Amino acid sequence: MSKCVLIVEDQEDNRAILRDLLSTSGYELIEATNGEEGVALAESKRPDLILMDVQLPIMDGYEATRRIKGNVELKSIPVIAVTSYALSGDEAKAQAAGCDGYVAKPFSPRQLLAKIREYLPAEV
Amino acid sequence: MPALVTRMQSAALIASAMVRSSGRRLRDFAAQLGSRKRPIASALTWPRPLSNMRSAGSELTGGLFRKYAVFLVALVGGSLLINALIELYYSYGESRQALSAVQREKAVGAATVIEQFVKEIEGQVGWATGFLPAGSGLEQRRLDFLRLLRQAPAITEVSYLDAEGREQLKISRLAMDTVGSGADLSKEPTFIDAKGKKRYLSPVYFRRESEPYLTMAIAGPGRAAGVTVAEINLKFIVDLVSQIQVGKAGMAYVVDERGLLIAHPDIGLVLRKTDLSHTPHVALALNKLRDATVTVPAISRDHAGREVLTAFAPIGSLGWLVFVDLPLREALQPVYDSLRRTIIVLGLGLAFAVLAGIWLARRMVVPIRALARGAARIGSGDLDHRIEMRSGDEVQVLADSFNDMGTRLKDSYATLEQKVDDRTRELSQALDQVRALVGVGQTINSTLELQAVLVAILAQACRLADAEGGAIYTFDEASNEFTLAATHGMSAELIETIRQAHPSLGDNGPVSDSALKRSAIQLSDVAAGPAWVLRDALLQADVRALLAVPLLREERIIGVLIVRRDRPGAFDQSIIDLMQSFASQSALAIQNARLFQEIEDKSRQLEVASQHKSQFLANMSHELRTPLNAILGYTELMQDGLYGELPRKTLEVLERVRANGKHLLGLINDVLDLSKIEAGQLVLSSEHYSMKNVVEMVVLATEALAAAKKLGFKIEVADDMPLGRGDERRITQVLLNLVGNAIKFTDTGQVCIAAHACNGMFSVAVVDTGPGIPDAEQGRLFREFHQVDSSNTKEKGGTGLGLAIAKRIVELHGGRIWVESKLGNGSAFHFELPIRARESAGVA
Repeated sequence: MSKCVLIVEDQEDNRAILRDLLSTSGYELIEATNGEEGVALAESKRPDLILMDVQLPIMDGYEATRRIKGNVELKSIPVIAVTSYALSGDEAKAQAAGCDGYVAKPFSPRQLLAKIREYLPAEV
Repeated sequence: MPALVTRMQSAALIASAMVRSSGRRLRDFAAQLGSRKRPIASALTWPRPLSNMRSAGSELTGGLFRKYAVFLVALVGGSLLINALIELYYSYGESRQALSAVQREKAVGAATVIEQFVKEIEGQVGWATGFLPAGSGLEQRRLDFLRLLRQAPAITEVSYLDAEGREQLKISRLAMDTVGSGADLSKEPTFIDAKGKKRYLSPVYFRRESEPYLTMAIAGPGRAAGVTVAEINLKFIVDLVSQIQVGKAGMAYVVDERGLLIAHPDIGLVLRKTDLSHTPHVALALNKLRDATVTVPAISRDHAGREVLTAFAPIGSLGWLVFVDLPLREALQPVYDSLRRTIIVLGLGLAFAVLAGIWLARRMVVPIRALARGAARIGSGDLDHRIEMRSGDEVQVLADSFNDMGTRLKDSYATLEQKVDDRTRELSQALDQVRALVGVGQTINSTLELQAVLVAILAQACRLADAEGGAIYTFDEASNEFTLAATHGMSAELIETIRQAHPSLGDNGPVSDSALKRSAIQLSDVAAGPAWVLRDALLQADVRALLAVPLLREERIIGVLIVRRDRPGAFDQSIIDLMQSFASQSALAIQNARLFQEIEDKSRQLEVASQHKSQFLANMSHELRTPLNAILGYTELMQDGLYGELPRKTLEVLERVRANGKHLLGLINDVLDLSKIEAGQLVLSSEHYSMKNVVEMVVLATEALAAAKKLGFKIEVADDMPLGRGDERRITQVLLNLVGNAIKFTDTGQVCIAAHACNGMFSVAVVDTGPGIPDAEQGRLFREFHQVDSSNTKEKGGTGLGLAIAKRIVELHGGRIWVESKLGNGSAFHFELPIRARESAGVA
């Protein structure tokens, strides 16, 4: 049973990259294009890990993370924030919202994969 | 309170200036007025020094009295004394000379008489001694002698000696005549001297112990002639001498050539054969007979030792001397009398002088004392006191002057008091005005609320102008209208009426007029003045007088200040001046408020713009990164062979795409960083870090690059560096930039990173063996978008922002960065950071 990764990302290009990267790496993917949808999918699908973009329409990544972390049942799911600013402060903000880790955008797919593997060791 | 003191002192200064001519006491008073804060009325008592002066004055007049008296006594007494002395001196001399003359005359007279007496007897005796014819015999001679005795009563006895000295005849009145007694008298001096010198006079001798006698012997002519010897009774001389009257106690006396007393009124003295040759004047007179140069003093002592005034005359042929003595006491009696009289006169004169002196001095001093007392009373502040003086002389003139002075002092004093009051009131008003202005100034400074400032100004203006109401209009240049900005003591109705009227520049009201003329305009009687649109409304609101002052700022109309009174009457110039001050304060306040408003607007706009800029940057950053993310991501996936094996050429292209994408990302990041720094939005984090870790991380990130260029990589990091505090990520960024540059610009040789801690600073150096940097370029190196050589840049890449950002970051940490380089000799970039970065340097 492969691990399920929820990608909350509004950019189709980025979703596509992640899809290509993660599916070839043996992860099951579910995708959401905004925070609200992300929270809903997290509740319904219970992914093993969530890659959360910060700048999202309708509900931003911080708010979505807060909601997920505020849900006792979803709390344990690791959330990796994908911040696009790479500025000091974003990291702290992400941490404050409850993110377990963060990756600055633009990310290197290799590094992202390494990060994911910290939380979800690859299926043997 | 200090202000009050100042006011009082100022009043005192003014007061002292006004009374400077009135003398020191008034100045003292004025000074007291300044120094003591007591009511003016009570300050009118004079200061103490005056009483001292009064006591000094009474001493002075006492001295004056004594001086006058002594002077007068000395004058009168002295002149009398001198007069008396002179008179005494002369009267003494004169009376002595007169007496001497009289005495000498008497003496000479007596001497003459005595001489005649002796000569007469001598003649008669001589005649009786004459030759008798032979034969006439003794009888004839006896008859002659008898006749001689008859003729010369002084001859008591006469005898005839023959040539041998035998007594032949002797006829006496007292005894029987003796004829031919033949007594040998040839050995007697009587006979010998007479025969020798023709004439012989014996010393005086006395018969019957009471009558002086003299024996006279005269020899007849020829050798055979006999000698006639006559015994002469000198009672005649004694009588003569006794008859000479010299004063009361004066007397005449005769001494013979030996100094023996011959005749003296006191016969006893003669009988005692008193020898007067020892009394000084007699001795000298006897000497004078022999030596004419001897002088005999007129005053001497007689035998009894009494002082006498003496004169003498010699009896020529006899060698006797007649003395006339007068006791000096008697002789000088007139002088003594004169002296007594003089003393009496002198005493009377002195007494008179004393009385006159006292009287005169009193007459002179008493008015002066009265004057002094009066002056002292005037001086002590009793300015109503008048000195009563009717002496009709200079003193009265002086007294009148004092009275006049008192009157003037009183006048000037009264005016002084009035002036002090006036000035005090003026000063108090001025102080009030200054306080009001200061208050207004403070209001202007303390609040930027224009409305509050204008209301405060207006309230003070109305209070000081004694006006019931007032308003401040602001002028709007665009609409040309005046708007009520603040009102004081105005009914809502009036305010509304004015608002409705829309007063504008050019209507004929005082507001517009004052603004147009740019000077204050007053209507001292609104009812009587010219009509304008608001006049009736104002009259209805009981406005009877008004003053409009324009608010001007560099000749531009800002508004108008207006104060209104409910009674007609002109406004004082001082009020107008004051209102102009208020007007300029108002203008200032309005302008300040406007400027502040402008600044506030501008800064708000700036803030908005800045926010927009930040937002724009954030958005752009995001928007630029998003596509970059896809580019870089896909490139990497392709390079990783996710989409199948690619030919080598394609992989090379992909590498170029990736490198350019990275570069673009760096550019975007740099621009974003720089703009954040410039906007002051770059906030450093403050956390513990290890400089050694920083260096290692940089080495890790760059050693591949160095290895690719076959450059040596040398690390010299001290082991004992303490933990630093600052923004580790940013410090890493700085070092990464320096090392990246060093590798980038060095083609052969090595890059060295050295770090150590010293004096509370981390000192880091990145030294390369690159081309070096020309001196001229070194200063500009840390500026934005600058690279040493633009042709080089193209080759080497880089945004030109890295060093600028590094410099900002180092400086934000409170450190510094610099370069040491020589063209062709490599470069050394240094930076120093406080181990504990300044908290104030933006480190959060």
